[in-house]
Amino acid sequence: MTSDTAALSRPRRRRRFRPGRFEPALWIAPAVAIVVFVFGYSMFELVKTSLLFDGAWTTENFRVTWTDPTFRTALGHNARLLLAVPILVATSLLLAILLFEGLRGWRFHRWALFLPYILAIPVIGVVFGQLLQFNGLVNQLLRAVGFGGLAQDWLGQPRWALWTMTAVIVLRELGFGIVLFLARLLSVSSDIFEAGRMDGARFFRLHRRITIPQLSGVIIFYVVVEAITMVSWVFNYVYVMTNGQGGPGDATQVTELYIYQTAFQYQSPEIASAAAVTLFAVTLVLIAMFFRVQRRAGIGLDA
Amino acid sequence: MHRKLGVVVAVVVVVTAVLATAGLASRSSKTTKQAFPTGPVNLTMSWWGEQEAAGAKAWLNETVAAYQKKHPNVKIKTVLQTTDGLIPAFKAAAAAKKGPDIQYFWGGIWSLDDAWLGNTKPVSDYIPKSELAHYLNAKEDTFDGKVWTAPWYVQPSFPVLVRKDVLAKAGVAVPTTWPALLKACDRLNAKGITPIAGGIKDGWFGGWLFSIIGAQGITSISDVLDATTGKAKFTDPKLAAYWTRLQELRDHKCWNDDINSLELYQGQQRWSEGKAAMTVAAGSDVKKFVKKVGVAKVGVMPMPKWGTGPYAGKLGSTSQTVGITSWTKYPEVAADFIMFMHNPERMSAWFKTTGAFPADNRFNTKLITLPQQKVLFNLVKSGSPYLENFIPPELDAKAFFAQSQLLLGGSINAPKAAAATEKIAQRIRLTQRKQMANFKKWSGSYK
Repeated sequence: MTSDTAALSRPRRRRRFRPGRFEPALWIAPAVAIVVFVFGYSMFELVKTSLLFDGAWTTENFRVTWTDPTFRTALGHNARLLLAVPILVATSLLLAILLFEGLRGWRFHRWALFLPYILAIPVIGVVFGQLLQFNGLVNQLLRAVGFGGLAQDWLGQPRWALWTMTAVIVLRELGFGIVLFLARLLSVSSDIFEAGRMDGARFFRLHRRITIPQLSGVIIFYVVVEAITMVSWVFNYVYVMTNGQGGPGDATQVTELYIYQTAFQYQSPEIASAAAVTLFAVTLVLIAMFFRVQRRAGIGLDA
Repeated sequence: MHRKLGVVVAVVVVVTAVLATAGLASRSSKTTKQAFPTGPVNLTMSWWGEQEAAGAKAWLNETVAAYQKKHPNVKIKTVLQTTDGLIPAFKAAAAAKKGPDIQYFWGGIWSLDDAWLGNTKPVSDYIPKSELAHYLNAKEDTFDGKVWTAPWYVQPSFPVLVRKDVLAKAGVAVPTTWPALLKACDRLNAKGITPIAGGIKDGWFGGWLFSIIGAQGITSISDVLDATTGKAKFTDPKLAAYWTRLQELRDHKCWNDDINSLELYQGQQRWSEGKAAMTVAAGSDVKKFVKKVGVAKVGVMPMPKWGTGPYAGKLGSTSQTVGITSWTKYPEVAADFIMFMHNPERMSAWFKTTGAFPADNRFNTKLITLPQQKVLFNLVKSGSPYLENFIPPELDAKAFFAQSQLLLGGSINAPKAAAATEKIAQRIRLTQRKQMANFKKWSGSYK
């Protein structure tokens, strides 16, 4: 082989494309494009509609919306629903740990606790709507065991309706938390728990010192998901359990239902858009707050 | 020169007149004489009514089949909506300008609101005046000289059904006046019988109660329209009286204790089961209740009288309607189908199947044999306007649905409910400016 032919047969060195620090952006570009394509136009239209009042560009729709007592009530109810998030986290964490510890009949308990989560929300709504009637099964049982004084019109009295709704939401959302935490617990090396036990740690200490730190990423994730649920994902529950009214009165009115009613029942798309933009902003702030807390605490989702 | 100019002007005037006449003629012929399409026609009818006129679905299927047989190129698909879904489903379709060709509407504002929003075409543009003249209660669907939706069946709104057997057992006479009703409530309660069964969880019953109790205090439908537009107030004694009467019923424990837990139809079920002495039902559905309970046991009457106004002691009369959507390609076919629903054979079949009166004065009234239906028919003949059809749906829901729930649940009293209603009306006057402008115009036709 001559030197010329050797040079020819040598693979030609190609100039490789090196995106450098833009590489992650390139990888997510298709997904971003789809999101922009799907949501971009609708968001643009939403904001545009919210800023049009009698054909003029103004923030008047926001003023009208924010001064509406029903809208304020709805926002207040969403805020009250947020109180359920710590309850959800604590309860599902405790139940996941109990299942992890091999509670007697844990397979059955796991199935029973997860069942509500796999049932459709309308099914849950209808079932609990019936159970919680003033003369429904729950009150019948209370009366039968001599606690008739505790019987309430759970969904028919304004002072109880939202809390009852919250309890139903908690019951269903609990299953998600339990499975999430249990799955993470099962992936933690048993050596860590063994070491803890050998050092004399008992139930509470063991889980406070080992389980919670190990699960912190998943817990944060669950908190974010449930907070978003409480702020902007409870429409189905309210719609089914109150026949789309948010009643009695406006006792269970939430922002999503307000938007739906205003847009599709009362034909005020501008007001509905202003309310939707407000809800979107609140949700964004909430997400940003959670991620800031997460960053400050130095917790990653891989924890 | 002047002569020439005169001739030119005369020619122009004549030509213009001829063209204008031709234009008018072609427009008027469009209303009635548009050629029936011969190519395939697919229509969708979105409707409601099985819920208050049992058997309506079977009748509609039969009617569609008969119409398709007559016009083999036409296919009509029917979609039965739920009570809570009827309006939102149509509003969503209207936003997309895509959906049903024929749409069901309740009367009055429920029909006109969509006309004002441009979601329907006036039926009077497609159905001859001579035909429309037979349709009952079309006035409430008329705006700006046009009839926007076509009455289908009459809804006597809303009779009180009485269990004569239950009242007799308790030794209580059928109450026909307000004081007698309150006294009957006290006596029935003392015997452990629920006086009136109802369900308000889904809200609708609040609108019914406002109409059948509130109508007795007003002197004309203008009172309601004026309060809506701000010329009067919902706190004025004439209109606030509704809340006072409702509170009286609550204070005398006239209702079942779980009225806030139950939906409208669940409440009525209590009466059918003999657990209550009275209930309020859709007039179109009376036959179903009578057949279920027994002819001898059921009495029918308007809400006991408390007022002295022209509507006191009367039953409301409205018609449920069907309209032609603004985006349909075949408005003439839709109109033809609506007229087909009114042919004598179909009307008789409708009444036999459902027991509801067709909204047409050509209906053979000899078919009415059930005693309760005879009473109902006579009440409807001298019926009053149905109030709920003359207020904005938003006011209906936020005030009469919601505040009635709160009042019956014991959370508020009558003055608070009246004040809340006025506050909601004030807000609607601000947010629904176009609707209010139309309301003002509409109220002119009721002066």
